[in-house]
Amino acid sequence: MTSNLHQLPETVGIAGAGLLGRLFAWKLLQSGCKVTLFEAGQFAPKPGDTFFPAAFTAAGMIAPLSEAVVSDQNIYRMGQFALQQWPEWLKTLPSVEPFFYQRGSLVVAHPQDVSELTQFEQELQFVLPECNTYARINQQQIHELEPDLNPVFSEGLLLSEEGHINNRQLLTALGKEIIRLGVTLRDQTSVNVQPNKIVTNTNEETFDWVIDCRGYGAKVQDKKLRGVRGETLAVQTKEFSLQRPVRLMHPRYQLYIVPKPHNIFLIGATQIESEDKSAVSLQSSLELSSALYTLSSAFAEARIIELGVNLRPAYQDNLPRIQIQHGLITANGLFRHGYLLAPAIIESVLAYLGNKEQTVFCNLLQDHR
Amino acid sequence: MENDFLLYGEHFSSRFLLGTALYASPQLMRDAITQSRCEIVTLGLRRQNPTEKSGDAFWQLIQESGCRLLPNTAGCKSVKEAVTLAEMSREIFNTDWIKLEVVGDDYNLQPDPFGLLEASEILIKKGFKVLPYCTDDLILCKRLLDVGCEVLMPWGAPIGTGQGLLNRYSLKTLRERIKDVPMIIDAGLGAPSQATEAMEMGFDGILLNTAVAKAHNPPLMAEAFADAIDAGRKAFKAGLIQKRQTASPSTPTIGQPFWHQ
Repeated sequence: MTSNLHQLPETVGIAGAGLLGRLFAWKLLQSGCKVTLFEAGQFAPKPGDTFFPAAFTAAGMIAPLSEAVVSDQNIYRMGQFALQQWPEWLKTLPSVEPFFYQRGSLVVAHPQDVSELTQFEQELQFVLPECNTYARINQQQIHELEPDLNPVFSEGLLLSEEGHINNRQLLTALGKEIIRLGVTLRDQTSVNVQPNKIVTNTNEETFDWVIDCRGYGAKVQDKKLRGVRGETLAVQTKEFSLQRPVRLMHPRYQLYIVPKPHNIFLIGATQIESEDKSAVSLQSSLELSSALYTLSSAFAEARIIELGVNLRPAYQDNLPRIQIQHGLITANGLFRHGYLLAPAIIESVLAYLGNKEQTVFCNLLQDHR
Repeated sequence: MENDFLLYGEHFSSRFLLGTALYASPQLMRDAITQSRCEIVTLGLRRQNPTEKSGDAFWQLIQESGCRLLPNTAGCKSVKEAVTLAEMSREIFNTDWIKLEVVGDDYNLQPDPFGLLEASEILIKKGFKVLPYCTDDLILCKRLLDVGCEVLMPWGAPIGTGQGLLNRYSLKTLRERIKDVPMIIDAGLGAPSQATEAMEMGFDGILLNTAVAKAHNPPLMAEAFADAIDAGRKAFKAGLIQKRQTASPSTPTIGQPFWHQ
């Protein structure tokens, strides 16, 4: 039992069983709250379902440095926090194989695109002038780290503190664990949220607190939210192995490949300003597969096992928002940083609910009470 | 600022046209548009599933800037693709202006001059006001005028390269041979000084995207370009002096005995 048990609400209704919804449910159930979790789609979704949380499509990288380049120092600090928090949290979650790996990540570019690497490094120095957890490495060092990579890459950057998560395994395990802890589940149920209330088509339920983390699904109630299309490709091959995520810099696109269990590799993701959820375009699949092929020709005979499409929920600044009213907390806009930002978001909200003086990232919370 | 920039019968006071791709967030894009003082922004819809208007959330953000929208056909590799996308853009944004791009090479996005000319002719017959993204080839530019383009947009360098004005000789030729048509340097610029140089040469405007969007601070870079473009325009109108060769004096220097010269 945690010391702040008496301070936490007795009943919490959560809208959305994506990454945030599952984590909130898990943490609150552990603290003794009664939790009801609503999900528009299936609780155990399959690719191709109408409702498929973005967290299932994501690659699950915990890459504070790489993401700082396209955002800001706050995202970096939240990412640093994630690197500490994930292993801490996951100690208590039963698993067959580890969910979290911290082996760094590698950034490479073809010799003719090496200016992209320099640009990346320059931007890192702008955003994080004090940072020393990355290093320029040469062909030999790249080969030692990732012997299966195409030897054409003569220069790269090793971002040594970055990590990645086996996200689908994690989401499934979290699902099982919250069921074991006694969550009340309402899946295939679309909802609207109100302070202290979750309203379905046929019913409404009252709670001490409601937490809304529906991602893009909240757009019906939050017009400022937009979706940003992302497309991924998953392939399977035993001919290639990878220890850590690799990011390929190219003038037209920046793609990464992340190793997953069972010899699966996920390559993603496009970033298109569109709320279109239709199937992957041929142009995108060409970009994704040619990037993959240039990383190693061993991918030629890999089997394409999934083409993924989803919408990242984002606000205009692509930064997350936690908004608090009496009896209602909304957490949304994690954009492409779900796994990177989730620990900071969760701990901030939990600290708030538990009336703790120091919230982890208090500047995240927008209190409208 | 003066209101003397004339494109297809419309007056503009800013000679800076800005692209809306590649920003880290729509907020940064909006801030950059504001700081650029531009009145025309371009946007591409090729990959946003325009038939379903799936890019609407993003397009609205651009429209809220109050700038005139100049849809482009970025990413189109054939005449047919470009024409179809132009027609879709006209319908969605209710404008007959189109920045016409027909990509000839997938890696450097170099314009396909043959496809560009053909697509221009088709679109002008359909009532479009075409602003063609072209190379700096004089004959291509003349042919584009022949089919009815009233604005030309020659490149400084390939898109996104930041190389500046790669071929000053042909750009100078273009400007001297085609005096009465607005010409906008489109693409390839990386630094504000390059924009100033183009304006000093007498070009009428500058269109760019990457140099601002990929800068560490896009709004600040947008302002830098805006100032540079204004400076270049003023310099052109003021009349630059000719460079002098003073390495070897032509006349005796006072105070120095002439037999020493």
